[in-house]
This record gives sequence, structure tokens and C-alpha cells, in this order.
Amino acid sequence: MSSRLQRALEQAGLEYRPESPRIGLHCSLLLEPEQLRPLALALAREGFFIETVTAVDRIGEGLMEGIYLFNHYDGDMRLLARLPVSRTRPVLPSIGRIFPGAVWHERESAEMFGITYDGCPDSRNLLLPEDADFHPLRKDFTGV
Amino acid sequence: MSAPLTYSLESTDNGNFLLNLGPQHPGTHGVLRVVLQMDGEYILRADPVLGYGHRMQEKIAENMTYLQALPYVCRMDYLGAMSYSLAWVLAVERLCSFEVPERAVHVRVIACELNRIASHLLWWGAYLLDLGAFTPFLQAFADRERILDLLESITGSRLTYCYFRFGGLGADVDETFLARVAEFVTGFRSRLPRYHDLVTGNVIFQRRSRDVGVILPFEAAGYGITGPCLRGSGLAYDVRKKEPYSGYDRFEFTVPVAQEGDCLARYNVRMAELEESLTIIEQAVATMPEGPYRARVPRVIRPPEGEVIMAVETPRGELVIHIVSDGSTRPWRVKFRVPSFANLSIFARLARGQLLADALAILGSLDMVIPEVDR
Repeated sequence: MSSRLQRALEQAGLEYRPESPRIGLHCSLLLEPEQLRPLALALAREGFFIETVTAVDRIGEGLMEGIYLFNHYDGDMRLLARLPVSRTRPVLPSIGRIFPGAVWHERESAEMFGITYDGCPDSRNLLLPEDADFHPLRKDFTGV
Repeated sequence: MSAPLTYSLESTDNGNFLLNLGPQHPGTHGVLRVVLQMDGEYILRADPVLGYGHRMQEKIAENMTYLQALPYVCRMDYLGAMSYSLAWVLAVERLCSFEVPERAVHVRVIACELNRIASHLLWWGAYLLDLGAFTPFLQAFADRERILDLLESITGSRLTYCYFRFGGLGADVDETFLARVAEFVTGFRSRLPRYHDLVTGNVIFQRRSRDVGVILPFEAAGYGITGPCLRGSGLAYDVRKKEPYSGYDRFEFTVPVAQEGDCLARYNVRMAELEESLTIIEQAVATMPEGPYRARVPRVIRPPEGEVIMAVETPRGELVIHIVSDGSTRPWRVKFRVPSFANLSIFARLARGQLLADALAILGSLDMVIPEVDR
């Protein structure tokens, strides 16, 4: 079933390591930012769909962890890509030109965590007011 | 992709004009604003403006214990609250490795499927209202009312149900409830042809919805479309089948699919799903096991450190809950990946070049709940 997943990872030059399906995932990857776009392209080519783009604030380690979830309409192929970057000025690559649906997810994640999505076709706020310059989902956010 | 729309009046110089669609009052059905750049009756560009119903649900959940967050979860999609509630308790149960008694599994399925029918009925009525027909709305509400009465009798609420608990249910159901559900299934099945007589074959409805707003399968993947919107484009992705949860694998049902990808296809899929939900409810009632309705779980939920992902098929598509636990009583991070958000994101693409009236037909056919989009 996960041969598509294996093929996509192979194209992106990544190793396939199955995850325990008990936590709802079939593969999770720890990536460097420059590995993301080749992976997204390979996944798009194999027909994967974008589930979400988000982040986890690891304030204790000084890291901002970019989270990308993909899945396939054939099922049983959920893939999580994790991209830890510096928390002070987090920059992540945008996949909005590969998966158009990622643009909204990136806009949301950008305003909530203060992440810059490099190359995102639209950088306006999505859910917060257009002039909001605070990032509510950061763990050190204390209110406006 | 084109540059972001600016709202200056300069764009009127070339004969185009900006049209502001919404927002409407929070009390009405959905508070969505769409800025449309028009050339006469045709849409050049559509730009949905979100956030009018934004409540920062994810931050709220991070500041609460797992149990305290439970009633909040149901307030995102107020038409499919059961599925949301289910996703939250399943995610926490998966995180803490709690077992759920068989009886609770069956009741959960019955409640979720009744809720799905109610949600589809409201969509059916409201969609026809969008297209200018008033009677169907009343017809749908008569049957929806029966379901709300049923669910009220076990949950105490009519919309934002908080009935499931970690390890089971808040209260058991009795024989009267099961008998009333069985009665509803028979009654609704006999009334279903009326829905088709009234609307499905209607020539005005057919011409408003056929070949309008076509979603192609490869585009669906690019935008992450799920639910009936996806199955109207020929892809049989249903979380209940692909990643069975809460005992859905023991019930026999099919996943209705239509190939055309237009508004009519999405309509047909939802209508067929009504019947499938009835089939599931019937089986769940007929094989209802005896026994406890709730397992013993710790009073204070303190999951181990780790992450969990739980996907559930809500009436609108795939809901994914991602919980990151740091081992304390509150989640470190909660992400709600909601179906309406992804389904609405394709609207700008579908509306481009369409007549304004067709764009409204498309918007309605996507069946989104705005408080769910905004969270």
C-alpha cells in the first residue's frame, strides 16, 4: 500500500522508515529546509494531497518546528515532515506553488507563529486582523 | 498565482468594479466575506476574507486540561459537533491507550451518523435556499427536528453536543431511545423519495448545478479537498473506510461517489450518503451489545509525553487532530485540521470567470461552516 510513499521518498532522495500506525502516522521525517520542496514535488507527482502546514513552538530548545502533513486518497499513507529552525527568526520554504492549498495554511501559520514562508505567493494575515503584528500561538505570547 | 488583491478604488479605472459579498451578521448562516473583482456579471477574481468568527480555539485548548477542552471542540462545527467530539475523545484515548466498551462504540456511531444526516439535511435545505427555493428548507427541517429531538433526549443539547467522554459516554441510552431511532430510520427512508421528487429532478435545479464549479481530481489533491466535495470528483476517499476508527470497519456500507465533479455531483453524493448513514445506524442498533457504557479512566488525564494524530470523517470531510503532549495535564500543542478550511480554499479558483449567480451556487455546494473555517 505504501509503495507510492516509498517511490515519492526515493525520488526526493529520502529514506523510508515506517512509523507505528498506532499514532495515526505511517512515516515521519526530520528534514532540513532545503529538502522540503523536492519532497513536496515528488509527493505531488505521486498524487498525495496536502493536509496541513503548521508549527510547534519548542521554546525550551529555542526551536520552531515546522510541521507538514500529507496523505494520499488511496489511504494509509499519512506522512509528517518536521523542520526545526531557529525560534528567533524562523524562516521556512513555502510549498504554495506546488500545493496551492498550502497558501492558506502557510498564511495562518505565519501570523500565528511569526514564521516567514519564503516564496509564499500571499503573505497577508488570514484569520487575524490585517494589521495584527502579534503571534498568539507562540508560547511567550502574553496577550495584546 | 496572481498577486494579492488590493482594495483601492483604482481598480475601477478599467471598467471593472469591486463587489463586497458579505459579511453578514453572526446570527445568520455563516459570516464569510468575499471581495469580488467583477467585469459586469462575471467574476475576474474572488478573494475570501476570513477571521470574523475566529476564537483561537487552538490556544484555548492549550490552556486547558484535556477534559476542559472537550466542550469547546464541539463549537467549531456546530452542525457536525458529534464528529468533532468523537475526534477529540478518540485522540486522547489513542494518546493514553484507553479502551472503550463495545456498547459505547455502537452508541457513538449511531450518534455520529444521526448527526451526519441532520447536517446533510440542513445543507440540503440551505443550498436550495441559496438557489432560490424556499419549500425544501421547511421539508428538511421537519426531519432534522426529529433527529435533534432524538439527540436531545440522550445528550441534553440540540446542537453543540458534549456527550462522549474519555473511555465511553456521558450517559447510557435506554431501549426507548433505540426503538425511537429504529422508528426514525424506517420513517425517514420512506420519506426520502419525496426529497428527490421535490428537488433532484427539477429542471431549474439541474440547470443551476450541472457543469457548474467542476473540481478536477488532481486539483482536489493540490487543495486538500476531502469529504463529499472530493467524492463528487470520483475519488472514494472516506476516513471511515481508509482508516477505520470507532468500529466503522464492522458495519457494511458503501462510499457513494460521483464522477462529474460539479455541484450536482456533490449534491448526489450527499443524498446517497443519507441512505448509507441509515444503513449504518440500522446495523449498529440491531447489534447493540449489552454491558458498561464507560470504562474506568483516571480522573485526571495525564498522558505520556508524545504525539498523536487522529483523523475522523465529519459530515464535511476529514478532520485531523494533532496533539503534542509534554506529559502534563494540558496539551502542549493542538492543531485542528478542519475540512471546511481546505474545501473553501479552492473557491477562489472555482469562481474565476464564473457568473456571480453561479459562484453562489458553488459556494453553497462546498457546504462549509464558517466558525469551523475560522476556529
